[in-house]
Amino acid sequence: MTTSSPRGPRTRFRRRVSGVLALGFGLMSCALLYTGLTPAPQVAQAQGDAALLAKGQELFNGNCVTCHGSNLQGVQEHGPSLIGVGQAAVYFQVSSGRMPMARQEAQAIRKPPLPTYDPGTEEGAANLEALGAYIQANGGGPVVPAATGDALRGDNPARGGELFRLNCASCHNFTGRGGALSSGKFAPTLDPASESQIYTAMLTGPQNMPKFTDRQLSPEEKKDIIAFIKSVEGDYNNPGGNPLGGIGPVSEGVVAFTVGLAGLIGFALWLGAKS
Amino acid sequence: MTTSHRADSHRDEPTAAELEEMSQAELARLAAELDDVEIVHNTPKWPVPGTRAERRAEHAVGLWFIISALSALAFLVCFLFWPFEYVEPGRPGYWTYALYTPVIGGFFGLCVLTLGIAVISYVKKFFPDEVSVQQRHDGPSTELARKTVMAQLAAAGKDTGIARRKLIIRSAGAAAGIFGLGLGVAAIAPLVRNPWKGGPKAALWTTGWAPNYPGEVVYIRADTGDPHDIKLVRPEDQGAGSMQTVFPFRESERDDEHALSAALKRADNPVMLIRLRPGTPVIQAPGQENYHYGDFYAYSKICTHLGCPTSLYEAQTQRILCPCHQSQFIATEYAKPVFGPAARPLPQLPITVNEEGYLIATGDFSDPIGPAFWELGSQA
Repeated sequence: MTTSSPRGPRTRFRRRVSGVLALGFGLMSCALLYTGLTPAPQVAQAQGDAALLAKGQELFNGNCVTCHGSNLQGVQEHGPSLIGVGQAAVYFQVSSGRMPMARQEAQAIRKPPLPTYDPGTEEGAANLEALGAYIQANGGGPVVPAATGDALRGDNPARGGELFRLNCASCHNFTGRGGALSSGKFAPTLDPASESQIYTAMLTGPQNMPKFTDRQLSPEEKKDIIAFIKSVEGDYNNPGGNPLGGIGPVSEGVVAFTVGLAGLIGFALWLGAKS
Repeated sequence: MTTSHRADSHRDEPTAAELEEMSQAELARLAAELDDVEIVHNTPKWPVPGTRAERRAEHAVGLWFIISALSALAFLVCFLFWPFEYVEPGRPGYWTYALYTPVIGGFFGLCVLTLGIAVISYVKKFFPDEVSVQQRHDGPSTELARKTVMAQLAAAGKDTGIARRKLIIRSAGAAAGIFGLGLGVAAIAPLVRNPWKGGPKAALWTTGWAPNYPGEVVYIRADTGDPHDIKLVRPEDQGAGSMQTVFPFRESERDDEHALSAALKRADNPVMLIRLRPGTPVIQAPGQENYHYGDFYAYSKICTHLGCPTSLYEAQTQRILCPCHQSQFIATEYAKPVFGPAARPLPQLPITVNEEGYLIATGDFSDPIGPAFWELGSQA
């Protein structure tokens, strides 16, 4: 660091200058190294992104504030508090069109989502994310899984079926056709729900559905359940051409007795007829 | 029709020499006559053999039989070689798998159907048009026949001396009677059960939540879909506003695969473990104030009306619904019935957390679970 020079009176001055320069250089390289080596700050985006939160708040104030209150505290007789419901609840309710509600009634029903929140469009997906981030920033809660679509389907629909019959079938029927609850409420049919919607519904327990945390049903178990639901939906559960409501032996028996027996009687009459 | 008619036919009986000379057709006609059947007319379908129309009819019948044979062959081949193992919807090979049952069913059905059509069309196309009349014989047998048969029977009894052999009659009666009694007991005995066998530990009073020996810890266990998987439940496993169907796990059954599986299937074992939201006002049944653990309440899942599983839990209204007869119970008031035919609250299971942090049952239900029965008396 020091320079040793035999030259005259300027030596001390030079030594000082070079000392300062060396110190400065050392500090600079330390600072550069520090900036280079320090990891990026571990802050969740939803917490940190002020622009996203501002957009989310704006959307909330435009569509939700009437029933859920300006501080998400809820409004008596209109809507519950949203503190702690989490991004997953926002995604489920808004992407399935249940929120905003058309009117107060026994149950929020599925309808096409508002175009601004349609998860199928880029703008809708961005709005859903912003709104979810705003709710998430106020009280936390479950979040939407990063995976979507096929990635949310497990590889063991048989185990999913076991778990579905144990946890879900009492309300949603054994192949997800839905069923009645008390006082005009009902468990909906599961056909129109996307994988992400089924997953977030299990996480958050919308309306009268109980909640299934990741410790109660692990993410793998949830994915197997989704695989089962998707393996019995629509035409996959309809080998005979008409599911007859999918409610099991009652409707099937009625059809077998009326149509089947009438056909057999007609055939017997034809056999007995004189040729 | 009458006795005289029958007498006539007897009188017409041919001699052995006449029989020898009769043709097959004449013999067949004679057989009908002996049975009092009169063939009014019999027109063959194809009076002139070998016409083109007759050959066409024959081909049509043969074609149905051939279709039937080919379907049977196709059924056999598909049954043996068609891929039948489960393939998930949307994966390659799904449609081949999904068509397995329709394909074998279709070919089997086609085989039976065309076989039937072939037989019927053969009858319709080739059997002659025939009208025959058979005489009906009403009334009892003739006086002569009745008297002689009765006399014959009486004579047989007298000749064998059965009427005088009291010992044989009685011993034979005893043998047959006791054997019959044994058959009757064997048929009825399996239907008789004593539900009170075991006194206070009788099946109607206890469930799988009772410890096998005094002091045994009975854990609360979740069903993961694998009957041999022991997943014990901790309070942090359930979020507020959740419900889980749980089963007992007794430490003494840890290595007993049969018992582990049976615990999930035993009809009186399922319990709804409900975690209410914090701060939910709750009314407890008298004497059961310490049955809950924090916000956790455990109720039997078996309806007290007719024993259906009452697992439709509404997380907002805290109602428990039974799908069979629409009984409703309210989870925040010791699961008492508030609607429908059920008259008794769902029995509550006393629970707590042990030092390892697992939820455990501190005892069996204090009331019998499921539908009421006579001996419940005023409790019902």
